[in-house]
Amino acid sequence: MTDQLGALTTIFTEFYYWITVVLMFLIHVGFCMYEVGASRYKHHQHTLMKNTMLIPLVTVTWFFFGWWIYWAFPTGPGLAPSIMNESAALITDESTFSAKWYMPNTEYMAVNLGDHISGVFWAAFLLFSWTAASIVSGAIIERITTFAFGILAIAIGSVFWTIDAAWGWHFDGWMLKLLGYHDAYASGVIHAIAGGFALGVLVVLGPRIGKFSSSGEPRNIGPRNPWLVTVGLFLIYTGFWGFYAACNIPIFDLGPEYGMEGISYWTATNIYVTPTTLSGITFNFLMSLSGGLLAGYWIAKGDPFWTYSSGLAGVICASAGNDLYHPIQAMIIGMIGVVIAYKLHYWVERKFKIDDAVGAVAVHGYAGFVGLVICGFVLNGYPSSGYSVGAMWDGSTYASINPLGQFIGAIIMFGVLGMLPGYILAKILNGMGKLRIPREVEIAGLDYEMMESAKEDEKAVSSATR
Amino acid sequence: MATVTNWIDHLNKPAEEVAGAIYPGAGSSETLLVILGIVIWLGWHVLTARNESEELSRLARKRHGANDHKSNITDW
Repeated sequence: MTDQLGALTTIFTEFYYWITVVLMFLIHVGFCMYEVGASRYKHHQHTLMKNTMLIPLVTVTWFFFGWWIYWAFPTGPGLAPSIMNESAALITDESTFSAKWYMPNTEYMAVNLGDHISGVFWAAFLLFSWTAASIVSGAIIERITTFAFGILAIAIGSVFWTIDAAWGWHFDGWMLKLLGYHDAYASGVIHAIAGGFALGVLVVLGPRIGKFSSSGEPRNIGPRNPWLVTVGLFLIYTGFWGFYAACNIPIFDLGPEYGMEGISYWTATNIYVTPTTLSGITFNFLMSLSGGLLAGYWIAKGDPFWTYSSGLAGVICASAGNDLYHPIQAMIIGMIGVVIAYKLHYWVERKFKIDDAVGAVAVHGYAGFVGLVICGFVLNGYPSSGYSVGAMWDGSTYASINPLGQFIGAIIMFGVLGMLPGYILAKILNGMGKLRIPREVEIAGLDYEMMESAKEDEKAVSSATR
Repeated sequence: MATVTNWIDHLNKPAEEVAGAIYPGAGSSETLLVILGIVIWLGWHVLTARNESEELSRLARKRHGANDHKSNITDW
């Protein structure tokens, strides 16, 4: 970097993403607090450690292969040719944005004076990966083995969500081109897929002992510490701000990018390289949060657990189009998402005996799915991508946003890349006898031995005279 | 192992040589480091899975009741 303006732009971008990563760390702090608050006393420590250990497991696998998958898979492979090399194969050639540069043994995956962006961009996506895995973590507390959760966390965090991001977020993604898929702040790319994955695992894992009566009526278990749940959800809200910022490109000259001769237009863009503003998405974040809270308080009759979760569900539902919605549209969409998610949660619980301990499938999965579908109607006709401006390999342009494309996209996110892999992997782990903890341990509590040991320490210390 | 031993000399090189990797062993050690990292990652799974299986089997054999843990709640 030898000119000052170029250096400032680069280092501003580097610092911008770095800040989003730090903010998004709060999402994970929030999830940990939330899960401890929702679990029973005798399972606390194992519940916390399960969610904590996904951090290193997803991080190292994201370094080894997760990030590579994002850059390699936009074409499917085989579903739509790349606009870079016109091939539908995995993108591993010499193209500028090829996965070749993101192999873990390349010099760009480390301190490199020629690359100020790869590390912070890698980290921003990694924090999305943690979130995807952490969403699953909450639903399955108190009865899954840590080993099985580790495998499932790697699967959703470093494989399946990164495939969906390559398909539906990457500028060269086949879902943008063929379906007009639009999901600016990840209603589907993170939330629907993680909710669907959790549902697939829950079908195999089964409910906690005592969740359903002999006649099949669901019983309420907890949350044991609603105040910890409250603080946890506030932290998740806070981290979500960072998530929104991380989904944007902070400063970009769209004139040359769009092939407009002699025109320079600097702006923030969404991940699809179409213009938006931090100011605009701040309106929409807060209004969809408010819509979710208003609807949640009403439908749950003031229950704090559901009201807080509904704030999150409101944002999640509006996220697909929050780069373009009017704030009141965002609020109403958030409200609709909450009502549908809440009703579906209890219907699925009763009908299929699914024990989703924290409502993760509803808040993330159903609200995310509904948000994608609504986005197809409200943003019908908008360009799905900044690269809609030029012709592709066959002379056509990227499909515009449309209801059918968004509906198919929602099915791909929730069902094809979420629920189906979650179900299959849980089946395999169950077949190995590694999925669920023994019944006797679930009754006694995962922390029994730790608690017993601590009690013995206490007795020894209290009876000591020197 | 040092990729840079004098920053002034380094920054005086042609721009394409300045803009590059500066970690120890750049250009020669990356693949070996990745193999080492993967061995550590997989080894961790094997070791912790074994520990967890032993712990769960031991606790299951004791057949504690649902409320037995309450006698172990500390009040330091």
